Amino acid sequence: MAVVVLTVVTIMSKPRSTGTTDGSDSADQTTDDSSAQSRAENGDYHSVSTRDEKDDARKIVTGEAKYTSDYASDFQNLAHAKVLRSDIAHGVVTDIDVTAAEEVDGVYAVLTPSSGEIPTKPYTSAGQSYPEPSPRDLRVLEKNPRYVGDPIAAVAAKDVSTANTAVERIDVTYDEYDAVFDPIEAMDTEAPQIHEPDDIENILPGADYERNIEAQVSGEIGDVDAAFDNAASNPDLTVVNSEWETPYQSHCVPEPHTTIAHRDENNRYHLITSTQVPYHVRRQLAHLFEIPIRDIRVTKPRIGAGFGSKQSMVTEPITLALSMAADRPVKLEATRYEEFHAMRLRRPSRVQLRSVVSDEGELEAIDMSVVSNSGAYGPHGMTASGAIGKKPLPLYTHTPNIRLDVTAVHTNLPIAGAFRGYGAPQGHFAVEGHMDDIAAELDMDPIELRRKNLIGEGDIDVASKILKDGSDYGRKIHSCGIEECIDRGKDAIGWGDIEQPDADYLHRACGVAVATQGSGVPGDELGAAHIKMNEDGSFILQTGAVDIGTGADTVMSQIAAEVLGSRPEDIVVQPSDTDISPFDYGAYASSTTYITGQAVMKAAEDAREQLLEVASRLLDEQPTALSVGQGEVYSTATNNSVSLKEIGHGSIYGDKKRVQVMGEASHSTDESPPPFGAQFVDVTVDERTGEFEINELVHAVDCGVAINPDLAEGQVTGAVHMSYDLAVRSGLEFEEDGTPTVKRFHDYGPPRTSDQPPLTPILVETHEPTGPFGAKSIAEVPTNTVPPALSNAIRRAVDVRINELPITAEKIKTALDDR
Amino acid sequence: MKLNLTLNDEEVTLSAAQSDSLLDVLRRSGYTGTNRGCDTGGCGFCTVIVDGDAIKSCLQPAFKMDGATIETIEGLGTQDDLHPIQAAFVDNAALQCGFCIPGMIMRTKTLLESNPDPNENEIREALYGNFCRCTGYEKIIDAVQDASDRMKTDVNSAVCDGCGCFDGGDNNE
Repeated sequence: MAVVVLTVVTIMSKPRSTGTTDGSDSADQTTDDSSAQSRAENGDYHSVSTRDEKDDARKIVTGEAKYTSDYASDFQNLAHAKVLRSDIAHGVVTDIDVTAAEEVDGVYAVLTPSSGEIPTKPYTSAGQSYPEPSPRDLRVLEKNPRYVGDPIAAVAAKDVSTANTAVERIDVTYDEYDAVFDPIEAMDTEAPQIHEPDDIENILPGADYERNIEAQVSGEIGDVDAAFDNAASNPDLTVVNSEWETPYQSHCVPEPHTTIAHRDENNRYHLITSTQVPYHVRRQLAHLFEIPIRDIRVTKPRIGAGFGSKQSMVTEPITLALSMAADRPVKLEATRYEEFHAMRLRRPSRVQLRSVVSDEGELEAIDMSVVSNSGAYGPHGMTASGAIGKKPLPLYTHTPNIRLDVTAVHTNLPIAGAFRGYGAPQGHFAVEGHMDDIAAELDMDPIELRRKNLIGEGDIDVASKILKDGSDYGRKIHSCGIEECIDRGKDAIGWGDIEQPDADYLHRACGVAVATQGSGVPGDELGAAHIKMNEDGSFILQTGAVDIGTGADTVMSQIAAEVLGSRPEDIVVQPSDTDISPFDYGAYASSTTYITGQAVMKAAEDAREQLLEVASRLLDEQPTALSVGQGEVYSTATNNSVSLKEIGHGSIYGDKKRVQVMGEASHSTDESPPPFGAQFVDVTVDERTGEFEINELVHAVDCGVAINPDLAEGQVTGAVHMSYDLAVRSGLEFEEDGTPTVKRFHDYGPPRTSDQPPLTPILVETHEPTGPFGAKSIAEVPTNTVPPALSNAIRRAVDVRINELPITAEKIKTALDDR
Repeated sequence: MKLNLTLNDEEVTLSAAQSDSLLDVLRRSGYTGTNRGCDTGGCGFCTVIVDGDAIKSCLQPAFKMDGATIETIEGLGTQDDLHPIQAAFVDNAALQCGFCIPGMIMRTKTLLESNPDPNENEIREALYGNFCRCTGYEKIIDAVQDASDRMKTDVNSAVCDGCGCFDGGDNNE
């Protein structure tokens, strides 16, 4: 009997398809019947909105994907770095003795704050825009430590264990100061002062370092005080007050921050680094080390995820300084303990909300006051703190009177930075919890209350600009599927249909919260793309888009293929490299698909125009009669066609005019269309113990057109996982002297396969007219809403409000006992 | 010190220092598909198979490995000829950044060897030690179930002459 191992045979098809690894769903263009009629039947759009295989999937599953650390073997004389970090929360280094460290065999360099390679000027680790909105308040090595974890000294040695030994032999003498760990206490004039303003470059409004205030900003629409005065004397108006608190959250980023720095054969500095922002890193290193931009190259390999953690330049400056001092390539890879305390975290926040609402449930005023804890330094401080208010408030932009006050405060705790959602999760917890408080106060269905007040398509949103000076006009909402998100989410979770458990001490209920975000930073982004045609009809696409695991490269290839009538697998996307790729602001603010995607679309259109000219010569027809599709150019007049392969070959080797087909484009915009989402949580609470079990998490999201539904769904489930983590697992604990107690994954306890509740993503597609093929963003918006939806569900189940994260059985039990 | 190993079906000798973990030795020897996420056994990114068991190689002192039979991700399929588990992860879009995936696949391999037809709960219990921060696990669970189906199909196909007697079979007359 013949033995046939079918799977082995069939999975040998060409990598990347829109179907399965056996290629069964993939149209083979070389044998396709390419009549104009069949083209029309297949539709114009066959690359966009397909579940195209992620372009790095095969190298990931075979272990061939190369992350920064995997480049170590490219450097024969590579040194390994370790950082000595402060073990006091506040003080000054009065002496550092590095003699014993330098004597360790195999040590190449030991750096302290006074070493010549360490810049004296301050910098910010925030890689966001230019000029940097964050204060320049960090130093590469610090002689005035302000939290347990501040870098004091660094070592490069022949291997990691030698570097560790040397670090242990550095003798540091501190003069210790009083420290402050609570942001409210830190604003007291008697509190220890953490920063000297003369040492900092800070352009932010409201900075008051004597009170440890990094920045303070406010904005108002209408007249909030008058609205509350009116409410005091009007029995038809109700005032609702609430308070909310969120703790630190760790990204738990899989790949630790890692950098390899070396001087290359052209005497330029080259960094291979796990970053979301290669171009910001290049600019900031040039500024910090006073090296010309042209002499720095930043290469982004595969990235083991970012979530905002790698939107901060953390390991790069130390590694570069060590490579200069050791005069050899140096690799620095953060430890997991460093990830939990010395990289970046989500900022803790306290939010006070009060509102005026009519008996019919119409919002008359919202007054929101935010105090956030920046920790010891201020990267992303003002911008992320402002986002706590200005991200969720547009949901209720019709409210005639809105005020937002934001204060970012320093403490002697770890540094807050960027984190997926960027303030919006903290703000949505407050705003969406508050909406349920209002509904309860009015005895109104929480969905009905929202429907009376929510933003919709065609509306002008003014709330997102509340913190901008002189902005008396808003942004038009071109697409909004929030109503459908609510309807479909409600159906999926079974809102109103759930059955109560048999046991009388168990109570089950659903909770809801809605969400919004942006698609890039309006007016503060630039994406660019370059695409060239090869002689076999394939294309090389260069963009600065930084694929950090999301699948951005795949999405870019789909957009380009759509325009060119090609296949995504015939678009080779090159990873971001500042020497090669066009400029890009980087992977943050949910910008990549929307901003860089449009640059790719325009560059591909530019290339298409050129290849149509080549085709017109080959077919001897007018370019205006030609269209692309199915891997060829065809004439709508004569139905004659020529394949992309023939065009590519003809353009370069042909008898007629020779030309390199190459398109290029930039894209920047003041638009940032908001995606929308609706989160539903189904929970069962045990009233005896406060223990709760989440039966299901449903998130319906309007991301415009999903360029790749598989990748979009993955963004939703991943974001909801992180939102669930914020809801029930977040928080770092410290000893009384500020020493972190969360050092390992086990201490933090992020959700695992066995305790992650089931997630159901629902894509509600709208068409965003300003986006590439109708797309807007998706990566962040589902991160915003498990905390309020869960808290709201618990309230509906057992009538207690948990307004402080993480939500725990103990807190519920205490609230039940106090009821 | 020298370690004699059977590594991905090859007899190899790797050098190791006394303080090295198995992960240190593997990565230094070019087996970089096995990733380092924590060095404390908390993430499972470094999961490899030693003598048939999935273990976290960061916790395994290298010197104890002499004579062991070790499988790493490099020993499975290639990009043009994926192992069924790898193919299932690709087809189910069960990956994003990918840093956890090699460990996840190696753990899945031992699961399916001991339990070829696991239910969802058994999958979730088996992968407890393999952390993923990107996916929310949904598509990973789907991929493991799909891999289980594919490997059962493999067993069927080994005795089928291509008559189309099972789903996915091909009547190659």
